[in-house]
Amino acid sequence: MTRAQQTISLALLVTSLYLSLYLGLIPLPAVVQEDIIPVLPFWSLVTFGAWLLFRLGWGMLTFRDTPDAYAELMDEIKLAKADLRVKGVNVD
Amino acid sequence: MAPAKSSNGGKDMYSVILPTFNERQNLPIITWLLNRTFSEQNLDWELVIVDDGSPDGTQEVAAQLVKAYSPHIQLRPRTGKLGLGTAYVHGLKYAKGNYIVIMDADFSHHPKFIPQMIQKMKEGDYDIVTGTRYAGDGGVYGWDLKRKLTSKGANIFADTVLRPGVSDLTGSFRLYKRAVLEKLFESTDARGFTMQMALAVTAKAKGYSIGEVPISFVDRVYGDSKLGGEEIVEYAKGVLQLWWSI
Repeated sequence: MTRAQQTISLALLVTSLYLSLYLGLIPLPAVVQEDIIPVLPFWSLVTFGAWLLFRLGWGMLTFRDTPDAYAELMDEIKLAKADLRVKGVNVD
Repeated sequence: MAPAKSSNGGKDMYSVILPTFNERQNLPIITWLLNRTFSEQNLDWELVIVDDGSPDGTQEVAAQLVKAYSPHIQLRPRTGKLGLGTAYVHGLKYAKGNYIVIMDADFSHHPKFIPQMIQKMKEGDYDIVTGTRYAGDGGVYGWDLKRKLTSKGANIFADTVLRPGVSDLTGSFRLYKRAVLEKLFESTDARGFTMQMALAVTAKAKGYSIGEVPISFVDRVYGDSKLGGEEIVEYAKGVLQLWWSI
């Protein structure tokens, strides 16, 4: 089953569940039926968007910089160049 | 799945396939680092350089390296810029090892992580081990905020659409069991830089196990980055194509 098939099947399932609630096929308290069900799709979309943004922001906050790796690499490059010249390889 | 035997008398051998284009400055140093890492670990290794007709003299330097580090280096050039994906397929034809390392020729992928990947593969008998910049103590040096945003954004996009179970989907520093890579090349049409993603997602879909090792990614010491607006669009298209087909 491809990712597309998975996603679309899940979407169809959720949509039909939602439709059954929206069309009043399942008895619900009035406050839920009138105030909550109609806005559920928009609320889900906004929440999902907020979740993605949160992940992005969190990723930025926790992004690791590795200056030590850079310093180590610079030293290794010097060593390498010296050794390579001895072996007859063109290095700048 | 047990690894096949290498054409090396049955001992484990690690083949690094390195596609190059205008890497005259980086190539000798990355070779030196590979040599040091593998020699220190006492491992059988080789490097297959697949150069796409670089105009900057990469092949001359490669020829010098073939002599200097004989018998570990092979130069398998091609006549034009035919792209990353086909370069790997080309290199694999000549590789003798039963384990294949895929990595970039600039210093963003440091050979010092290869022993860690080998260790990880043995520990978990993983089919693939991939370096990750986003988990554990993985990290990056040399990225400004914009680049970090782009990269993390792209990763979240791919992660949401594809749910691959791998923390760094676009990472291209990987260790493969040879048979696994061959099987994946057969079943993936994707070429170009979205190929790395395609390989990981296809692998997951086929039930191969993927382990991760945190790596530090030092960006572009020499040379220009090949990431522009066009690449981002291609990337998005690539992700959606994968979503549809795998």
